[in-house]
Amino acid sequence: MFRKVLIANRGEIAVRVLRTLREMEIASIAVFSDADRTSLHVRMADEAEWVGPSPSAESYLRIDRILDAARRHGADAIHPGYGFLSENADFAAACEDAGIVFIGPSAESIRRMGSKTAARQMAVSAGVPVVPGAHDALRDTAEARDFGARNGYPLLLKAVAGGGGKGMRRVDSAAELDSAFRDAASEAERAFRNPELYVEKLIERPRHIEIQLLGDHYGHMIHFGERECSIQRRHQKVMEECPSPLVAQRPGMRERMGEAAIRAARSAGYYNAGTVEFLVDAHGDFYFLEMNTRLQVEHPITELVTGHDLVRLQIEVASGEKLNLRQEDIAWRGSALECRIYAEDPYNNFFPSPGKITRLTRPLGPGVRLDGCVYDGWTVPIDYDPLLAKLAVWNGTRESAIARMLRALREYDVAGIRTNIAFFRQILEDEEFRQGRLHTRFVDEFLERRKPFAPAPDLESIAALVAAFHSAGGGARTETSRAPRSRWLDIGRNGMLR
Amino acid sequence: MKLQLAINGAVRDIELDHSAAQIAAVEPGVYSILLDGRSYEARAEQADGRMVVFIDGHRFEIEVRDPRRWSRQTAGQGIEGRLSVTAPMPGKIVRLLVAAGDAVVAGQGLLVVEAMKMQNELKSPKAGHVVTLAAREGATVAAGEVLAIIE
Repeated sequence: MFRKVLIANRGEIAVRVLRTLREMEIASIAVFSDADRTSLHVRMADEAEWVGPSPSAESYLRIDRILDAARRHGADAIHPGYGFLSENADFAAACEDAGIVFIGPSAESIRRMGSKTAARQMAVSAGVPVVPGAHDALRDTAEARDFGARNGYPLLLKAVAGGGGKGMRRVDSAAELDSAFRDAASEAERAFRNPELYVEKLIERPRHIEIQLLGDHYGHMIHFGERECSIQRRHQKVMEECPSPLVAQRPGMRERMGEAAIRAARSAGYYNAGTVEFLVDAHGDFYFLEMNTRLQVEHPITELVTGHDLVRLQIEVASGEKLNLRQEDIAWRGSALECRIYAEDPYNNFFPSPGKITRLTRPLGPGVRLDGCVYDGWTVPIDYDPLLAKLAVWNGTRESAIARMLRALREYDVAGIRTNIAFFRQILEDEEFRQGRLHTRFVDEFLERRKPFAPAPDLESIAALVAAFHSAGGGARTETSRAPRSRWLDIGRNGMLR
Repeated sequence: MKLQLAINGAVRDIELDHSAAQIAAVEPGVYSILLDGRSYEARAEQADGRMVVFIDGHRFEIEVRDPRRWSRQTAGQGIEGRLSVTAPMPGKIVRLLVAAGDAVVAGQGLLVVEAMKMQNELKSPKAGHVVTLAAREGATVAAGEVLAIIE
């Protein structure tokens, strides 16, 4: 086993990895940029090394500096976290060349899965379903008609040269095909001076469901089931759950998806942790989207439901150990949800809200897990992703997990900056969400139908009372007093709110 | 006792009378309130000269119009000198209600700022006249930007 591991990352994931390293009694080395000197991962690590100025291109993305730090501190291995260099094949190769273990798949696997078209090709040859369609130009309407007969409707005609929806037509039946083809081709001709079209099957209101994989260096690979990540905003996941409400209702679906994911990963000679993402339609048919060759942000919900520490397993297989779990050892118990807590203002276009955290109250209690990098008095830097923490909860059923998440969100208070905490409370109260009717445009539709986050009527009076009291210096005055009795102010004496 | 408050831009007259509400300062800026057998917790912050109160994830921007009795200052004391009126949040000036040189009374509306689809009327903090009116209708303003000076 490794003695010392460098974490080539920052923020919550660096803290997350560090925690497992400490449990494994492996020394940790943090790296940091100018902006992160006082970040939690640096404070918590056993050793730390500065790797450059705040912009990530000059620090966290500098392969040379990170490897220098690893050599100087005598690291046996590097954990890349997610983002930054985690899916950079050159980095994985450079680690290998330097004689330092990259905790992840081989550079070759990263390269092969990194190209969307190559990955799709590999999936096809491994017999894994992909969204039917070909990116080659159609010769004529008849070819599109054949496609429709084979793959069903609705389908989508798209301009080969296209983008931005120009030259794109939805076709719901064979009868519409001729006119749709004509319209799309002439629109494409006008927009791009190229009338060529291609066809693909339209997946309506798809879900985004992914399968967690883990394999060792000896060809043994298992899956840890699915995570549903359909709650997205601008193609970024914001909330995830395990199990998927859809998969949970369909016997055998998890196994079928798991086997398909393993087939796709094996075709790239994959080992270590990875995730295969699928689009899933209303019938439960799933289509390979891509493979993420790293630990996912949302891995904690899988850990909560399966009881396995994925980071620990990553480290063990990277050190050359055999994976001692068989597929039948993996069981799924209860339900877990995760909310990505961002420094952003959900009532002002989700604008980032960096700044100093003046006070912090963390949710605690049964079934709550908080993976964060935030502390009281820390200034959220403007240089990086505004993810503050991942709040995950576990409970016996989806319904009780939702109730627990609502409870935890109500306990969570971050002062000094804006966060999206209240936004999650609104989603969790939404009837469509509670029914599990999820799809990747859920948040867009929710934002249109959501009601204002309105307080109960009595809160306004309470707020007024507090404002009056606070502005009179009530808080300041009582704070400095030593007598416990005087910490109380009986408003009844002065009057109260009606 | 009567108190005038502007809560999230809406002016409210609130009357306080004799009854049992207890406020305890539990942490700096954090209050525990017991009222009619119910327990509340609130956090108050001063930001850009405004007071913001948070209760159960809800945000109330509050301007206390008549805090004198609470701080037990003598009533009727005028506010001396020049006072500036600043934009409480980034937004857009939708309407000007006065012009430079106009005489104004305390609490009189000066201009209307729209932010987050909410219109907020900014009022004169004192009686006097408008020395400068930096705001233009339709202009975008940053939080804290001086919009008018009243003397």
